[in-house]
Amino acid sequence: MLIPLSYNVRSLFVRKATTIATALGIGLVVFVLSSALMLGQGIKNTLVASGSDGRAMVLRKGSDTEMASGIESNLVSLILAAPGVKRGGDGQALGTADVVIVAALDKLGQEGMVSNILVRGVQPDVMKVRPEVRIIAGRPAQPGTDEVIVGKGIRGDFKGLELDSSFDLKKNRPLRVVGVFESGGSSFESEVWADIETVRTSFGRGSASSSVTVALDSPGAYDGFAAYIENDKQLGLEPFRESAYYEKQSEGTSLFITVLGAAIAFFFSVGAMIGAMITMYGAVAQRSKEVGTLRALGFSRSAILLSFLFESSALALIGGVIGGLASMGMTAVEFSMMNFATWQEISFSFDASPAIVLGSMAAGGIMGVLGGFFPAVHAAALSPIEAMRG
Amino acid sequence: MSSSSASVESQVAASGIEAAAKGAASAIVEARKIRKTYLRGKEELTVLQDLDLTIREGAFEALMGPSGSGKSTLLNLIAGLDRPTSGTIRVAGADVGTLPEGQRAKWRAANIGFIFQTYNMMPVLTALENVELPLLLTRLSSKERRERAKTALSIVGLTERMQHYPRELSGGQEQRVAIARAIVTDPKLIVADEPTGDLDRKSADDVLALLTRLNTEFNKTIVMVTHDPNAAERAKKVHHLDKGALL
Amino acid sequence: MGLVAVRNLGRNKLRTLLTVFAVSVAILAFILLRTVLSAWTVAADHAAKDRVGTRHKVSFIMPMPKRYLEEIRQIPGVQRAAGANWFGGKDPKHENEFFATLAVDPKAYLEVYDEVEVPEEQRESWFQNKTGAVVGDSLAKKMGWKIGDRVTLQGTIFPGDWPFEISGIYTASRKSVDRMTFLFHYDYFNDSPQAGATRDQVGWVVSRIDDPSRSAQISKAIDDHFEERDIQTLSMSERAMNMSFIGMISAVLRAVDVVSLVILVIMMLILGNTVAMAVRERTHEYGVLRAIGFMPKHLAVFVFGEAVVVSTAGGVLGIMIAYPFVENLVGRWLEENMGAFFPFFRIDPITILWALVLAGVLGAIAAAIPARSASRLVVVDALRRTG
Repeated sequence: MLIPLSYNVRSLFVRKATTIATALGIGLVVFVLSSALMLGQGIKNTLVASGSDGRAMVLRKGSDTEMASGIESNLVSLILAAPGVKRGGDGQALGTADVVIVAALDKLGQEGMVSNILVRGVQPDVMKVRPEVRIIAGRPAQPGTDEVIVGKGIRGDFKGLELDSSFDLKKNRPLRVVGVFESGGSSFESEVWADIETVRTSFGRGSASSSVTVALDSPGAYDGFAAYIENDKQLGLEPFRESAYYEKQSEGTSLFITVLGAAIAFFFSVGAMIGAMITMYGAVAQRSKEVGTLRALGFSRSAILLSFLFESSALALIGGVIGGLASMGMTAVEFSMMNFATWQEISFSFDASPAIVLGSMAAGGIMGVLGGFFPAVHAAALSPIEAMRG
Repeated sequence: MSSSSASVESQVAASGIEAAAKGAASAIVEARKIRKTYLRGKEELTVLQDLDLTIREGAFEALMGPSGSGKSTLLNLIAGLDRPTSGTIRVAGADVGTLPEGQRAKWRAANIGFIFQTYNMMPVLTALENVELPLLLTRLSSKERRERAKTALSIVGLTERMQHYPRELSGGQEQRVAIARAIVTDPKLIVADEPTGDLDRKSADDVLALLTRLNTEFNKTIVMVTHDPNAAERAKKVHHLDKGALL
Repeated sequence: MGLVAVRNLGRNKLRTLLTVFAVSVAILAFILLRTVLSAWTVAADHAAKDRVGTRHKVSFIMPMPKRYLEEIRQIPGVQRAAGANWFGGKDPKHENEFFATLAVDPKAYLEVYDEVEVPEEQRESWFQNKTGAVVGDSLAKKMGWKIGDRVTLQGTIFPGDWPFEISGIYTASRKSVDRMTFLFHYDYFNDSPQAGATRDQVGWVVSRIDDPSRSAQISKAIDDHFEERDIQTLSMSERAMNMSFIGMISAVLRAVDVVSLVILVIMMLILGNTVAMAVRERTHEYGVLRAIGFMPKHLAVFVFGEAVVVSTAGGVLGIMIAYPFVENLVGRWLEENMGAFFPFFRIDPITILWALVLAGVLGAIAAAIPARSASRLVVVDALRRTG
């Protein structure tokens, strides 16, 4: 009872220019949609990858970010003694204290531009608590020296942030880059890691730390750990699950990108649907005689309706596939922007996933169906006689 | 839906049995007191006035008349493309004037073969695919459809053109493919609207010869609207219409 | 001839309407995105040319000794200077609302930032009241604060509860400051025990200079002065500071820029498609017109004319929707909820002009190919076509 699909597909190719124009339009929409989703996912992955469920962070109570927080040195051992903290083979608690500052460094390639980079002063045993961090070039920095390692995300973007280069943090106190590290795509890759004492003395931080991070026995052990820290009000400390901390950090930024992306996608979709609508109305009008003939021959209204719906979704899918495939090229692009919560520049990537790419293509198909709906209804409503009159 | 198509089919079967019982050629078309009016703005235009017409099986009849005479309108009613404003019209045993559009569509598929002045081929389908089109509305398998379509094309003498697209055919050839499409379902009635209107003399003669053959050899009932006196000559009977009435 | 072009539009009203609508959506999106772009850069564009900012060379979160302020005032070229400290306060009643809290010397600050306007009596009352605060009008509106209200902020860097009294509400006479800042007495902060290690430090210093064209030299002079000290400074004009801030989000800006142009491309595709379809439909009529005596260039003009009328109509419609939608709906929301980043979300008249011009010009461009094919019609073929 159905009109052959080949009829619709071949009809698409008769009107080459129109088909290409409309398909390209939908393709562009799918491309932008997919890219925006990939960026949002990339931001989420980067910021959320930074935090693990199996680790907890402690900041001073009331501080939203590491930068605003300060923890006295005598409290650090108290934190490490809390229940739920994992212990290493040697019986020592797996925890580390960091001092964090945001420093202005000259951008490479943009004269006179500076941007903010997070410099983390770390203890010698930091890798034990953060095993996902791996040196990919050069070697680890020696503790107690002016050696630093640089995250791969910012490598080469700033003056002095390249292997065997050095940059000045404090006057006459150059720091030498001896290694480059990666950390599974997390925001650590946009940081410089230096020796904790070097950072403390460069900035007169005394013996205080910005934060303490511990590995937990298990994600479930967090509650016991948190209760211990919070119950002693004298400590004035606040615990976070590391994953929760980073999620909070990323909220503002990812909300902004999401809203911006959604707004753009909305406008684009409306445009795509209207484009499909205009094209399909044109197709119906041009083939009015054919529609009438099919109805005369006995094909039902619903057969006509389905036929044109199929045609518009086929058109949209062609464009959608082109746009989706093109968007995969964005995965090669690196994107850096400011994390609104911490004022540091972080580099993000476009993370593709089958769900995103296929989903965007499907969205394109749906736009085609929605856009083609009214023209298809119009075609189905035609009476054979009028339609054949053209 | 299925119950009404069953009723359509049983009506058709019943009339066939009736005809066989009668022994004489039964009426394929029985139109009584047909009126067709249109609303044009506020005016009501009467296109057909209280018309009576009977056409028997095996007939080859032409409808002629000046433009505006209502001949195309009458043809549309007979073909089940439209419904009369009042009056009854029974075609191939069905009360076509009262059937709703959905059922009429099914009825057309089962009973009518169409030939149009402008051929009305699907430009994106080959000749064979075009001829096959009406068969998609039946329950035949794809193999059977192919066979029937090829047979129909051989009757009109265009087997070697079956993979060609309409734009690759001459006007006359296109119309012959259209005729193949019209007979492929073995319909009770073939309805032709100015079949030679767009053709040169030679092609027109070929088409008319074909129609005559269908009528005399295959006993197909043909109702034709035409301006062409040559076409009228080939018909066994000519009805003249003027201002909506049969003269 | 213009009449013919317009009449032809009525032939297929639905298609014309849809096309106009599509163009208006595209123009609306274009205006929205360009306004996002200009709102980001408005601070840089309107930055005071005669102000220079000085901060800790290495990290903006490190403070400088308070006496640097006095020394900067002595640098030739500096007319007056004021210091400010980032306090990082939060209103516990509105946990998630972010706004800047600065500890300043009230008199000096208002002199340097003369676009911050506070009514006389409110200003005097603030000067007298050590726990007083002056807040931006947008912030006051957001939080529901009025003159005389007692507000307690929680310190995120300097822990504890900090009670204040709203002494005044400021408005901005120029777009170089935002309207969401909370200003209070430096002494209130510095004299309290919680100031801790930050006592007698200043976060940054802003100077008014006598000659805007010498801002680079004066900045260098300030930095050279502190070169040999333990803590060095980094000075640059206010505009340069804003530009480097923008640089940090330059990728987003570039992306928004690209997307706003992509929208125009899509619009042209839709428009071009529509025009091409219309031309194809009217082949027969164009043939008749040529037979009567019209020349190819006349036909081209018909096609261009129709396209430009449609695209301009769409542009105007888009602009008409833009004002209520972008300024009042989106703009208000952004100013209120992301006021620190979008203090002034207003459509730039230049954007509107661009939108109108682009609508018309792109309409003509989109019509170029169909117009060419219309003008190249072979008359007899066109006449043969029915429809």
